[in-house]
Amino acid sequence: MERQLLLGTMLAYAAAAWFFGKHVARTDDSSARRGKMSLALGFSAHSLSILVHLAAVGLLPVTSFSDGLSFFAWLIVGSFLVVGRGGRLSAIGVVVGPLAAIMVAGAVVFFGESAPIPPELRSPWLPIHVTLAFLGNAVFGIAFAVSLIYLFQEGRLKSRRGAWLLRRLPSLEQLDRLNYRCLVWGFPLLSLGIITGGIWAANTWGHFWSGEAREVLSLLTWVIYAGLLQFRLTGGLRGRRAATLTIVGFTLVVVSYVSISLFNLPGRHGHVLGS
Amino acid sequence: MALEVVIVGLNHHTAPVAVREKLSVGNGSVDSALAGLLDPPRVREVVLLSTCNRVEVVACCDSDANAGDYLADRLVEVGGIDRHAVEGSLFALRGRDAVRHVFRVASSLDSMVVGEPQILGQLKQQFEVASAADAVGPVLHRVFHKSFSAAKRVRSETGVAARAVSVASVAADLARQIFEALGERTMLLIGAGEIGEAAAAHFVAAGVGSVMVTNRTFESAVELARRFRGTPVPFERMSMYLPLADLVVGSAGGGQLIDSAEARRVMRERKNRPVFFIDLAVPRNFDAEINEIDNAYLYDIDDLSNVADENLGERRREAVRGEAIVEQEVDRFWQWFERLELEPAIVELREFADRVRLEELEKTLPRLAAVDEADRARIESMSRAIVNKLLHRPTTRLRQPRDANEEVSLVAAMRELFGLRGED
Repeated sequence: MERQLLLGTMLAYAAAAWFFGKHVARTDDSSARRGKMSLALGFSAHSLSILVHLAAVGLLPVTSFSDGLSFFAWLIVGSFLVVGRGGRLSAIGVVVGPLAAIMVAGAVVFFGESAPIPPELRSPWLPIHVTLAFLGNAVFGIAFAVSLIYLFQEGRLKSRRGAWLLRRLPSLEQLDRLNYRCLVWGFPLLSLGIITGGIWAANTWGHFWSGEAREVLSLLTWVIYAGLLQFRLTGGLRGRRAATLTIVGFTLVVVSYVSISLFNLPGRHGHVLGS
Repeated sequence: MALEVVIVGLNHHTAPVAVREKLSVGNGSVDSALAGLLDPPRVREVVLLSTCNRVEVVACCDSDANAGDYLADRLVEVGGIDRHAVEGSLFALRGRDAVRHVFRVASSLDSMVVGEPQILGQLKQQFEVASAADAVGPVLHRVFHKSFSAAKRVRSETGVAARAVSVASVAADLARQIFEALGERTMLLIGAGEIGEAAAAHFVAAGVGSVMVTNRTFESAVELARRFRGTPVPFERMSMYLPLADLVVGSAGGGQLIDSAEARRVMRERKNRPVFFIDLAVPRNFDAEINEIDNAYLYDIDDLSNVADENLGERRREAVRGEAIVEQEVDRFWQWFERLELEPAIVELREFADRVRLEELEKTLPRLAAVDEADRARIESMSRAIVNKLLHRPTTRLRQPRDANEEVSLVAAMRELFGLRGED
């Protein structure tokens, strides 16, 4: 049931990706509406799959690689549906759509029964820590999409090949501003995610920090975003450089999530908890 | 007999401006022109399209009558010129071609600059004028309303109007890709000459919030600034004001005014908030290197005209997709139009009744012994009155159907009951 729902979700997101692509490439406004509808439809199926999982397992779907991928995609699409409502911003769907479709496709491919959770991890801290950290990274996912579009459009403006400009994309100013807003929301969420993880670890094992790969990479990501925020606020960092750094930060998030899960690096963040 | 949409006129494809300007119908005379063109039952509905690129009569006519020739004559008459002055420039379209033409005109596919936005407004306005003058009936009403929705589809589903095709509008278009709201932006115009003034006017029309003008002769700067409710800036103080400007338009003589070092200083002072440098001057006012600086965008006059050319090509490519949409909409209209047999059916009914009346008169009148001309006339007029009174109610009712479905079934019932086969 859950897998079928995810399959449906993937198809709806793929359709949304196609419609947004058509909207942007062919300046076709009715496609934007269809794209948003497909995405909302996929999001409903996606939400249902999470409810089904919650009912069956009694936990948020965050305890296996495939579950986490799906939950992360769900948060990204949810954030986009909140952020990308107005006017030209909906064109960001041209990146969010494919991104979500690929992530859910990954969730479908790697779909498996969730392993039982070791008792020491059964804690009210689990949903709090994971949701905060995932939500923070999902907001950075939006910032990533926005930054990709920024670099693309900026490159075209600089090259002075006007015919290659995609006019349905938001203005550079709007993209940069949204990138900043994502940073302002995502950074505290990520910080809280890291802090709650530490408190949970301290409560369970008696130490805040154990130095496993996931923790180190998260801290590195945090430092990048902290620097980005700092220089944006004080040093006039904006535009192309800010977009590039945002992309680097999010790439690190993705690489650390995928590599730790797939290569089964030691630690409590592995692809099956406790294995 | 049936109804037909006919177009007669001339436009930029068929006639040079020297001919077009002869046959323009001024706004004041449109009402009388419409009255002069109407000629029921031959010409039942008329809308007059008159812009600087076209003078065309769109009419709904009896398809049997040779309405095209008649309309051409009257159009020339109404325009107050000699027919052979425009002979060879006039074109005529009928049926589907005529409907398609109206749809293409509304969608700006027939315009001189494909995709220009004014034509739809002009069409709407001239349709309103004709409606107000009672020159529009159900057929043209539908032709025009469907042409408006075809135009809306073409505009939103293709990029036919998406791209700017003049240097000034390309610049404004690019500015909108950089800045979100031009209303909060400040423009510095360097040089108060004609080119600068035209560019400034365009940006003000596009909604730029505030304008500063600088010029070597300060008086000209003051004068131009006053026109745009802007601020004049003394030429030697320009570098002080530069960091305040989001758009910098160069149109001054005398070559380079801002080098890349100066631009870097400006960007630092602005904390890298973006600047759009638009160089309209030849020789150029801004160092080409400025484009290499982060968050600074530089377009010179050649860059802008290249974009304009590319955009025009793109509009033409998009127009092909617009044509496909128009064809779909014409198809839809045509389905409706073919079902529109009400008027011909009523005419048929009247002709049938009249035939019966005449036959009976011919049978009866010779048998009557002493009838003089006056009696004959009375009997004939009585027969006409009977027919008219009998047909009055059914025809009135047929003309006021509750909806399209009822119209179709009423017409079918009438044909069935009177044995009319619907032959034209």
